[in-house]
Amino acid sequence: MVERRLTCLAVIILLWGAAILKNLISLQVVHHREYAIRARSIQEVEVEIPAPRGTIFDRDGRPLAMSLASRSVFINPMKVDVGVASDLLGYLLHMDRGELFLKIKQAADAHRGYLTIKRKLTPEEYDNLLNLKSRVEWVSLSHESQRHYPNGTLAAHVLGSVDFEEKGNAGIEKSLDTELRGTPGRTRLLTDVHRRGIAPQTSIPAKPGTSLTLTIDERLQFVAEREIAAAVIGYHAASGSVVVMKPDTGDILAMASYPTFDPNIPVERGEDAKPRMNHAFSVPFEPGSVYKVVTYSAGFETTDLRPETPINCNGGKLTFGIRTIHDSHAGMWVVPAATAFAKSSNIGAIQVGLKVGQVNMHDYMLRFGFGQKTGLPLPGESPGKVYRLERWGKTSLASVSMGQEVSVTTLQLAQAGCVIASGGMLVKPRLVLKRGDRTEPVPAPVRVLKPENAITMRQMMEGVVLVGTGSRARLAGYSSGGKTGSAQIYDYASKHYTHTYNGSYMGFAPMANPQVVVVVTLNGTHGENGFGGHAAAPVFKIVAGEALRVFDVPKDLPENLPARTLVAGNPEDLNDLAIADLGGAGHNILQDTEDAETGEAETAPPEPPVYGPHPVETAPGAPLGPPAAAGPPPAVAAPPRPQGPRVPNFRGMTMRAVLAEAAAKGLFILPDGSGIARVQSPPPGAPLHQGERIRVQFAQ
Amino acid sequence: MATLPAFFKKNEEGAGAPRGRDAATRTNRMRAVRDPFQLRALPHEHLFLYNKRIDNSRLVREADPKSRGACWSAIGAASVLAVLLTSASAPSVATTIAGYKLEALRIEERRLLEEHRGLDLQEAELLSPARLDRLAQQNNLVAPSSGQVFHLEGKPQGAVAMAK
Repeated sequence: MVERRLTCLAVIILLWGAAILKNLISLQVVHHREYAIRARSIQEVEVEIPAPRGTIFDRDGRPLAMSLASRSVFINPMKVDVGVASDLLGYLLHMDRGELFLKIKQAADAHRGYLTIKRKLTPEEYDNLLNLKSRVEWVSLSHESQRHYPNGTLAAHVLGSVDFEEKGNAGIEKSLDTELRGTPGRTRLLTDVHRRGIAPQTSIPAKPGTSLTLTIDERLQFVAEREIAAAVIGYHAASGSVVVMKPDTGDILAMASYPTFDPNIPVERGEDAKPRMNHAFSVPFEPGSVYKVVTYSAGFETTDLRPETPINCNGGKLTFGIRTIHDSHAGMWVVPAATAFAKSSNIGAIQVGLKVGQVNMHDYMLRFGFGQKTGLPLPGESPGKVYRLERWGKTSLASVSMGQEVSVTTLQLAQAGCVIASGGMLVKPRLVLKRGDRTEPVPAPVRVLKPENAITMRQMMEGVVLVGTGSRARLAGYSSGGKTGSAQIYDYASKHYTHTYNGSYMGFAPMANPQVVVVVTLNGTHGENGFGGHAAAPVFKIVAGEALRVFDVPKDLPENLPARTLVAGNPEDLNDLAIADLGGAGHNILQDTEDAETGEAETAPPEPPVYGPHPVETAPGAPLGPPAAAGPPPAVAAPPRPQGPRVPNFRGMTMRAVLAEAAAKGLFILPDGSGIARVQSPPPGAPLHQGERIRVQFAQ
Repeated sequence: MATLPAFFKKNEEGAGAPRGRDAATRTNRMRAVRDPFQLRALPHEHLFLYNKRIDNSRLVREADPKSRGACWSAIGAASVLAVLLTSASAPSVATTIAGYKLEALRIEERRLLEEHRGLDLQEAELLSPARLDRLAQQNNLVAPSSGQVFHLEGKPQGAVAMAK
């Protein structure tokens, strides 16, 4: 009996054990995969690893733009008590409760299940919300990234800005957005019952955005922005821009545009777009006299023009058939080319342009980079405009020679200035110095001018500073060269040129081995004070002076040279106005929407124009009248070379040698400085009038 | 005890049970000496319950050396089992604890990196040229000219410079 009971008990226990075993096998063998997946879905959490956006540095490694993690708070308006939520959140986030109430109520009425209350929480607000979140379930927090520009408006047009999703919408933030934007990573995190992470199971590492090092120098950028802002405000201009470049590498050390904006402040609907326009890069203008650098350079390259070549400025008046061009400096007749350039004679430039011819002029305009984009990684670049040769009219050569009928940007002028400063090599501007740790190569330069012609052009530009319209750009302790420009602005409504100007100055320093090229442009100046020599040249002086100081360039002139020029500095001497009105051409190049230059220009032989007074007895060999075959139009004949003494060439001689030679020839010398003779006025070869003093400047 | 058999038995006795003087005489003859440990009998039941105190205080358990050995063996086996289980589970426990620490360190690392970036931003804001210019103007400072500063150890990156 007992044994039977024990047997029954044993059977029951065995059956019970078998049932347990069966369940165990079912759970751990048969349905193992299914339960493992279900357990993993409960225990594991997929976490996104944020990838910060790449930092943008200046050339010395100072951050110009960087991203920091930020947090935002959102709620489900359908599941909250609007009054309670607005009171609580308004108190914790220091927001207006009435506005918050309306906002949440509107979202709830619209049956929206998601409403962001506030982005970019402060640490205090985040901690308060964390405490609230532990007590209520209708508050949620999310992690974001916020872009910061620690220097405010500095280099705003170069850097650009980002939208609320940290996607670039202007400047380099937009053009290099793909590189700057990182790739977030993902990791599966095993969590405990309290949702604390135990260990990551699998992970895709985050790839942070590439950091960029720009060629911009923070200090120079600040000085350039400060000075252009002061000049625009002081001269009541509409806008202004400055570009500072290194001529050997094409590095853009500063690119300033005014008006400006703060990229930390997001764009608002209906906001004026003008402050966000990069006037140095995107806004073309007719350059005026500063463009004569191209004209004279083409003259040196393609003709027998030299600085001492006499040019007939015809008393400041030149007639093209029914049209008449006036010079800003009335009364100049036959002067050396250097003087015509220094005084910014329009007639002189036209005479040179006529010598060069349409084909060569058009060719050199393209060689200097005009009419084409520079290729900088910034959106919205304007290529400017250079008409195809087929569109050149009878007066186009004259217009182009003095900087009309062509539109350029400040950056293109700086690029052209670098050609002169670098000894004739065109180097493309560059803005990015390094991508991550990888240094960007310097673009290969292209020869535009022969070295000797570039140096000659440099010397002529030095004359502009010493005896010409650029006297206000003269640097203390440094030799420099430059060219002023004052171009009338075209009015589209009345289809006439107005008396507001684009005042420009293109310059470089020092002379022997230029280290910086600076171009300053003020748009919309008024009156004589708005000329380039008056308004833009002083900006060059300060910006170039600062650049030479920052880069520790040794001085090449004594400090104690007089501040004023050798020529009396009256406002008339700063007048370099390019008289634009040639009798109503009917349209302006800035208004033209047709593509001006898309490839190799097919040129037809230009119709030889008739310029200036009829030529008198000319020297043998000079062409008379229109050419029989296709070729450059004839130069206007200069009057016969006057007989009599000529100014000797003192350049490169010591002061003792100069004085000895002058004494031997009975000449009056006005020496200035010490060392070797570098510049003289009148230039060598010019006719010497009785009693005329020769000014010679010496430097080490 | 009032059970069904007693109930049926009672009813059956009620039908054929002796009656009158015979019933009393038989009862007197059957009453014997009662066991002192016997508890009061249950009516109409042949179930008798005894309550007896047994004093086992003088009993002493005989020593069993084999049981002591078995006891120690059991303790040893349990200890070994515990050690084995602990050794088997220790790595996973250590892994879990290390995982907690690792995750905490990762969170700390991210926090410190963010803090570092925040400090970099603060430094950049404090060293912004506009702010330095403003401070220089407030303190009547001017920038040196290029020939005025002599770098003792090459170009700046915190290089020492001397003004002459």
